[in-house]
Amino acid sequence: MKASVLERIRNIEDLPTLPSVAIEVLGLAHSPDVSIQRIAECIHQDPPLAAKVLKLANSVFYRRGDRKVETLHHAIIFLGLAEIINIATTVSVFSALAPGKRSEASIRESFWDHSVATGLIARHLDKKLGMKSLGREFVAGLLHDIGKIILDQHFHAEFMEAYRVSIEQDRAMFETEMEFCGTNHMELGYFIVQKWNLPEYLADVILYHHQPSHATHQAMAALVSVADLLAKAVTLPCGGDRMSFILSDQESWHVLKDRGYAVDDLDMERITFEMESIGEQVRSYISTVMEPTSPEYVHG
Amino acid sequence: MDDKLRPAYPVMKDETFILLRDFIYEHSGIYFADTKKGQLEARLMMRLRASNLPDYDKYYYMLKYDPQAARELRALFDSVTTNETSFYRSPPQIQAFQEKVLPELITRREKKGERMLRLWSAGCSTGEEPYTLGIVVKEVLKNALPDWNMRIVASDISEKALKSAKTASYSEYSLRGVPPEIKQRYFNAHDGMYQMNEDVSRLVELQYLNLSDTKRVQLMKGFDVIFCRNVLIYFDDAARKRFVSQLYDSLNHGGYLFIGHSESLHNISRAFKLVHFPGALGYKKE
Ligand SMILES: C[S@@+](CC[C@H](N)C(=O)[O-])C[C@H]1O[C@@H](n2cnc3c(N)ncnc32)[C@H](O)[C@@H]1O
Ligand SMILES: [Fe+2]
Ligand SMILES: [Fe+2]
Repeated sequence: MKASVLERIRNIEDLPTLPSVAIEVLGLAHSPDVSIQRIAECIHQDPPLAAKVLKLANSVFYRRGDRKVETLHHAIIFLGLAEIINIATTVSVFSALAPGKRSEASIRESFWDHSVATGLIARHLDKKLGMKSLGREFVAGLLHDIGKIILDQHFHAEFMEAYRVSIEQDRAMFETEMEFCGTNHMELGYFIVQKWNLPEYLADVILYHHQPSHATHQAMAALVSVADLLAKAVTLPCGGDRMSFILSDQESWHVLKDRGYAVDDLDMERITFEMESIGEQVRSYISTVMEPTSPEYVHG
Repeated sequence: MDDKLRPAYPVMKDETFILLRDFIYEHSGIYFADTKKGQLEARLMMRLRASNLPDYDKYYYMLKYDPQAARELRALFDSVTTNETSFYRSPPQIQAFQEKVLPELITRREKKGERMLRLWSAGCSTGEEPYTLGIVVKEVLKNALPDWNMRIVASDISEKALKSAKTASYSEYSLRGVPPEIKQRYFNAHDGMYQMNEDVSRLVELQYLNLSDTKRVQLMKGFDVIFCRNVLIYFDDAARKRFVSQLYDSLNHGGYLFIGHSESLHNISRAFKLVHFPGALGYKKE
């Protein structure tokens, strides 16, 4: 990132912020003496957040079996702390960057479709490959392009230009972003999630999702990178690049292979066919997160 | 048996079903699973009538031992094939061909100074697929088309289907997926039918080819793109494997194979590289 660009970002006063409770929860997650009780109490300080977390925990995307969890405490026991942190992060990010508030010519709508699709596909692949990323792969997929939101908000004209040229000349977005905005969505995403104090793996995956072999969390960056491509192949891409690709030639593919994951045994045709109906799941996920919660969830 | 008790139409015995099924498989790769006995029975009924034979056993022996059977074999293929097709079938694949594959091949060929392309629609049925390819080629190359040596080979095992392809005359229904401006530009409407324009139909070379005829298929060489869509579904895995490896040999390096949307080569071949296009899959020979 150019110094001047960094300066410009630092000076932006209305950069999106996360709810303070969310920041506290995420901070707690890092601390060694964290308890279920403390996390639950902490989330309860923000009742709408608590209600959303509980609602999501009971949605088809997260619930285990058909038992409904009535309290946050139970949710943490059933889903595990990691997953609750994932859910809290997701809810907070959505509330900070609400997909509802979209300007005319912005990319927001397709942005969230693409992001959620990437998250869901990452989760699906994680299962197929037995990577056991504990739902973190979903959050990483969801946030991988988060820098584009900042670009869209604060570098709107330049970003639109980058977007147009990327389509016109069939070039990668991050390349044209650099050309017109002096930075790209990976750097900006990295900058913002660090500012939000989100877990370090997220910053890492965001920064390297287009060159996963450079990441510290290589396997997860590679997984998100594959999911990103597949999301583009099966849904409306974010950034309009109607691209074609050979998965087995990708850096991400080789990273996964080198790390011992049996990617070549995946039935990619079948996975692709399965993913073709992902649009429905994506819409359902977004409405679950976005719809106002009913008061029954607030208690307990 | 009392004549009155005999059914009005012959019944196919299970043993005869196996004999006929294996015979058809051996000669065409088309496989009727046990659950498809009723289907085969219905489809061969016409052949019994046309050959004036009282039952399926006699029909089987005729196929197997009669020196005249070669002609009957072709009629048999007409009855056991499913010729369902349409223009612009599986649009994302056609779009991938138009926007990605064709431009890539054209650029590559132009660099080498060879303006030549060979396309093959294997299992072309009544012609909608190869003519769609012809339209796309015209749309992409436009006025440069005459500078190119362009051949679209279209083959099928069904003589009836090929005959219909040759007339290049289609109903509204076959054209249901065709964009209006394309319909206007490439078809002449008369008497409720649509006649494919000469400048497209002459790009297409129709020929009879049984894809199980290994020796003949071996002669098919030097193709840049092969469309073999919704054909493999009628074969069993062994026939698919054999045949797909032949298709691989028929392709040039850098060439592409398209199979039907939702068909898969997983477990059939690892020779190709799977290519993701927007909303469609293809296979590339490196
Ligand atoms: C359902 S049609 C598909 C037509 C077109 N490719 C499409 O996708 O719309 C299948 C065609 O494959 C042909 N076919 C089946 N077995 C064949 C074989 N062994 N050799 C050549 N063609 C065969 C049939 O005659 C039929 O016309
Ligand atoms: Fe990206
Ligand atoms: Fe992306």
